[in-house]
Order: sequence, then structure tokens, then C-alpha cells
Amino acid sequence: MRRVTGALAIPVTVFVVLTALCSINGASLFGTDDSLLLLTRGVATTMLTAMALAINLNSGRFDFSLGAMATLSSVIGATVAIQTGSGIVVMGGITVAVGVALGAFSGLVYVLLGISPMVCSLGITLLYEGVSFAITGGANVSFLLDGGLTSFSKSPAAMAAVIAVGLLVVVLLFDQSRFGYDYRALITGQGPAVAAGIREKRNAVAAYAISGGLMGAVGLILASQMGYIEAGKLNFGSIGIMFTAFLPMFVGGFIGRYSNDKLGYLLGALCTTLLGLAFAALHLTSTVQSITNALLLVGFLLFLSNEDKLARLWRRVARRDRHTTGHLPPASPDVPAQPIVRTGATAS
Amino acid sequence: MKITRSTTLAALAALGLTLGTAACSSGTAAENDTAAAGTGGETVKMCVLVSDATSSEALGFKDYYTQYIQQNFDVEFVYSEELADADAEKRAMESFIANNCRAIISFASADRPAQIEMAESAGIYYSVATGTLTDEQYEMFKDYQYYVGAIGPSLDVELQAGYDMAKHFVDEGDTRFAIYGAGIPYYIDMHIYRTAGMLAALAEDPSTTYGGAKEFGDILGVIMRDGTIKVDQFASDVYELTGYQEVWDFDDSAWQANLAAVVSSKPDVILAAGTGFAVFGAAVSGTDIAIGDIDAYTDENAKAMEAGSLSYLAGKFTSSTGPIFAATLSAVQGHPIRGEGDTALALEQGYWVATSIDQFNEFLAADTIESPVYDQAALEPFIGTDVSYDDFAAFVSKYSFDELAG
Repeated sequence: MRRVTGALAIPVTVFVVLTALCSINGASLFGTDDSLLLLTRGVATTMLTAMALAINLNSGRFDFSLGAMATLSSVIGATVAIQTGSGIVVMGGITVAVGVALGAFSGLVYVLLGISPMVCSLGITLLYEGVSFAITGGANVSFLLDGGLTSFSKSPAAMAAVIAVGLLVVVLLFDQSRFGYDYRALITGQGPAVAAGIREKRNAVAAYAISGGLMGAVGLILASQMGYIEAGKLNFGSIGIMFTAFLPMFVGGFIGRYSNDKLGYLLGALCTTLLGLAFAALHLTSTVQSITNALLLVGFLLFLSNEDKLARLWRRVARRDRHTTGHLPPASPDVPAQPIVRTGATAS
Repeated sequence: MKITRSTTLAALAALGLTLGTAACSSGTAAENDTAAAGTGGETVKMCVLVSDATSSEALGFKDYYTQYIQQNFDVEFVYSEELADADAEKRAMESFIANNCRAIISFASADRPAQIEMAESAGIYYSVATGTLTDEQYEMFKDYQYYVGAIGPSLDVELQAGYDMAKHFVDEGDTRFAIYGAGIPYYIDMHIYRTAGMLAALAEDPSTTYGGAKEFGDILGVIMRDGTIKVDQFASDVYELTGYQEVWDFDDSAWQANLAAVVSSKPDVILAAGTGFAVFGAAVSGTDIAIGDIDAYTDENAKAMEAGSLSYLAGKFTSSTGPIFAATLSAVQGHPIRGEGDTALALEQGYWVATSIDQFNEFLAADTIESPVYDQAALEPFIGTDVSYDDFAAFVSKYSFDELAG
């Protein structure tokens, strides 16, 4: 019961608060014909990006190149689909496959060079942005009037399938496979894991490849949704895609303590998407939205960084209440009641 | 051969260098063997500031400079990356100054006064393409020695373009409008004036106001104060403002939700202050929603008009940036074209307006990269000669399709 409550507390609270805010202002959270599509599409892109970000961040590897992977993989997939006249299936297959290859290349560069993952990923970002630019000559890859390629992101069923498949693949890979066991062993104790025979470099490259595949799927959705890809972004212009996933990743990491961290990312993405729907329903300006998002992110990180202090404060207040109502103090020292294992995707 | 770490590093470095060179050389003379084939003098390095590097309009302007102008005049163009804000513009200006640019042509408008001040301090000629300064800014900078001037739609022309577009749809009997304000939150003047023009056209109906205002100047004041358009500020018994969208982050879920909400509000027309089809094209396909846009004559917009998604275009033609190039090069060569009292240029150009695909195709065919309306023969008389301001002003003022190509 405690786990269910812990997992659902934030999403339910977000939903109730946003619904109430919309009702007070005479708006509806799901007031448009496309509400279901927006919900599924938003959850799909945000969840996949949050998982791609967390996969490496949990291992202490910060990856700035996620947005560039999404852009370059979709540029290649869309270019091939347009030039060959093939449809969304070919575009999707190529985009995700290229995403995996780009991720693997990024991982290889990291393990071969042995430099800081942050520096390495910045270089990879510039490289991938440069390749996108070189392929397109700096122009947008546009297929605005190609209904076949844009229909994918207009289907709630397709978006729901992306969520289900993405979740299933990640759960199978990270929770049910040898790769996943090794991955978790490396996170919790790198030295002993390596001493026990786990090949950390191979595991790192595979983690990068999976992350790239997820970003390929994100690139496919974003491209199909807009009907064009902005391939002229240089000098880290693609990094913004990654930053949209920070709040859901931290929220997801927190929720994951009470369930599975992958389910946490799904619920975190749901919260963020609901927030986006509320912003649109309330006609908030872009400035107000940006400030609100920033405050929520900073506020949540503050909470994560100080939750032990808050817990102690809460117990002190609770103890004082019990004293005043005639209860005896606890016989044992304070012990955190929650048997929580934190994921790397927290503020710590 | 054993693949060592050094071999891998060397291969990666070579790959990165190759791709980086390919990416960065797109706007230089390096790709153009026949560059500097003009009068045989010194090749002038001109640097170009761009806030938009990817739209078909921006690429059309770039192709005209890097493919046509560069082949026919002794000039080399170096383009900036896409500049998102005033800070990025300043960094690009510093880079251009350090790289010995002889002149800067600016398509970026986040902070033009800062650009003009930097160019003046560095002794580099500076000009504004496809836009003009505000009256206050012009008064401030008109006497600067290195400020060549501006040629493009004045803010009055921008206002009129927005007004004419909204009026066209009103005359067609449409009553439900959505607005795409493009760069309004970034205080891009031309987008603000176009949007104010649209609202002013709707406010001609006695029952219609925006933020309580009916006149253009008052409407402009409301938009300037808010930095955005607020749907609930629009009041009318006749028209409905069903939704509003502007640029901030295409990848943001809230932006996507707002875009979908605009489409779901089922307006008759989306009045766009710029790049309307690029932003709304996929979202409105399959609906009856029309787009009115202020953009450019490009193949992409032609397809949109043919498909029925775009039904009105007030567009710049690709070689419309020819006259400002001529004035800038002439200044570099020691023959600046100055107005009365030795002042900088402030000349207007307007739009070509198409409301049918036939008209659109006629405009598109008249002005191509290979055969622009402002070709070498048209521009050469104004470069390197002591041409009078009046002659040049008369040349620029004849910008309509009928005058140039009709």
C-alpha cells in the first residue's frame, strides 16, 4: 500500500491540482479534440528522453549529445524516406537504427578516449550537429505535405504503442537481461563488479547504444509531428531537447523509489505532459511557462537535496505531537522508515 | 594493421575536421571556384549576420548572395551561425571584426543599435537587409560614417502587410481567426507591427477591440506592453480570435499542446506574422483551415499554395537583397551613397502579394537564383560610382512585380 501511495502521490496530486486550476479558470485540461493524442505523444517523447538521459546519468556519465542524436538520426531517416519515396516504416526503422549506431559510436569514443564523459559528449554533439548540417546544407528537411510521413505522430494508437514498446524494451534490457544485471552491478559498486569479471567498457557502449536508439525514436516522433527537421542547429543548438527531460527524470527517479524507476519515468513524463496541457488550456504566456517550469525544477531539486532534513523535522514535529497527546516517545532510535534505494537520477 | 588508440584518435580527428570544414564552408567562396570573377579588383570579405539559417526564405537569400552575387562581383560572403539572441549577435560581430570583414550585412534584429555601435567603433561598414530601423533609431545613427543604411520593408510597410492580409480574409467573409505571432515574445519589431496591423484590420468593425484599443497605435502599445497576444483581450460581436501561438520551443510539450489547441479551435484562417506554413503546415493538413502568411517566394510555399494550405502570401522575392548589397559594396570601394546632409540610407521595399497558385508561379519564375530581377546589369551602375542618392532611391522604389518583371 505504501508503495502504491508513494508511486501515485505525485501524478495524482499534479492531476488534481491542474484540473482544479483549469476549472477555476473556466478551462478544461482535456478540452481539445487532440487531447488524447497530445497526452500520448507528450508522454512518449518525454518518457523516452528521460530514460535515455537517465541511462547514462545513473552511471555518472552526463550526455549532452542526446538532442544531436535525435536530430541526426531523423535527418538520415527522413532523407532516405523522401529520396526513395518509401514510407514511415522505412523512415522509422532507419531512424532508430541510426540512433543505435550513433549512440554506440558515442560510447566507443568515450571508452577509447577515456576523457570526461561531459567533455566527450560535448565534442560528439558538435560532430553530430556538423554532420546534420553537412547533409542538409543547413536547410530544414521538410515533408510538410507528405501525409504518409506525418501521419505517424497524429495517431494516439501509434503513440501508445511507442510508449508500451519503449517501456517493455527498456524493462527487458535493464531488469531481465545479463546486460541489465551487469549495468546495475556497475552502478552500485564499480570496483567489485569489474573484479568479478563484468566488462564495464562493453556495458558502457551498450548503454550508450540503447540511449541512442531511444533518442532515434524521439527524433522520429518530433520529425513526423512537425513535418520538418531543423538541421541547421550548430554550436549546441540541439541540447534543448535533452533539457526538456530533466524535470520528468528527477520526478521519475523519485517515484521509482516506490516502484520501478522505468515506471517512474513514465509517470514523470505524464506529470510534465499534463503540465503542458494545463499551460495551453490556461493560455499562459511563454514567459510565465518558462518561469513556472524553472521554479518547479529548482523546487523539486531543493526538496531532493534536503529531504533527509525535512524527514527529521517531520519526525520531530510528530514526536512533539505525540508527547503533547500523552503518547510515549519511541523506544528505538530514529530510523528512516522507507527502505529506499535511490537511483542516480536524483539530486544527490 | 593493429588499431591503436592513436590510430583511432587520428581517424576521429580527421573525420571531425573534414565534417567541420564541410559544415562551415557552406557560405564562403571556398566552394565556388569562379568566385571573384567580377571587375578584377580586390575581393571584399562581407560578413552576414542571420537570425534564421534554415527557413526556405533565409536559404533563398543566402543562395542569391553565395551563388549569384559571389560569382558576378569581387566579393566573398561569410555567414554567421543562426543567432538566437542579442548576446549571440554580439559574439558574431566580435568574430567578424576579428576576421577582417570589410562590411557586415545584418539579417539579425535582436539588438541592432549594439551592432551599429560595434561596427562604427571597428570602422566596418554595416547595413540592414530586409528591414529598417525605427524612426528613433534612425535619428540616432543616421550620421554614423560606417552605417550604410537599411533597405527593406519599413515598419509602416509591415503594418500595412498585416492589415492587408487580415482585410483580404475579412472581405472573403471569414470571421474566425487564429494568429501566429512568430517572434513577438522576442520583441521582433516586424512581427509585432504585422500582428498589430492584423488586429487593426479586425478592429475596423465597430464592436471589435483589442485590449480596449481600436486604433493601430493603441493596439501596438498593448502588444508592446504585454510582449505577447492575449486571446482574452480580444472583444468582438462579429469576429472571434480562437487561438494564438508564438515561437519559443518547438520541442516543448506545452508549445505542442498550444499549437494543437489553436488548430482544434477550428479557425477559418490562421493569420501568420511569418513562417506560418512551416509551423502549421503539418498540423492543418486535412482540415479546412487556411493559412495567410508573410514570408517569401519559395518552392515550399508554392507547393503549399497548390495544396490549398496556403491561400495568401505577402512575400519577399529572393533577390530583394540586391540593392543593399550594391550600396554596401560601393561604400567599401569608397563611394558611399548618402542622403541629404550626409545621412545613411533608409529606403523602403514592399511585398509581392499572391492569392492564387498561378500568380505565385508567375512571381516565382520571374526571380530565380540563375536569373534574378536584381542581376549584375541592374546593380553594377550603383557600385563604385558617385551615384546620387535620388537616383538610387528611385531605383529601389521600383520594387513591384510589374515594375521589375511584369
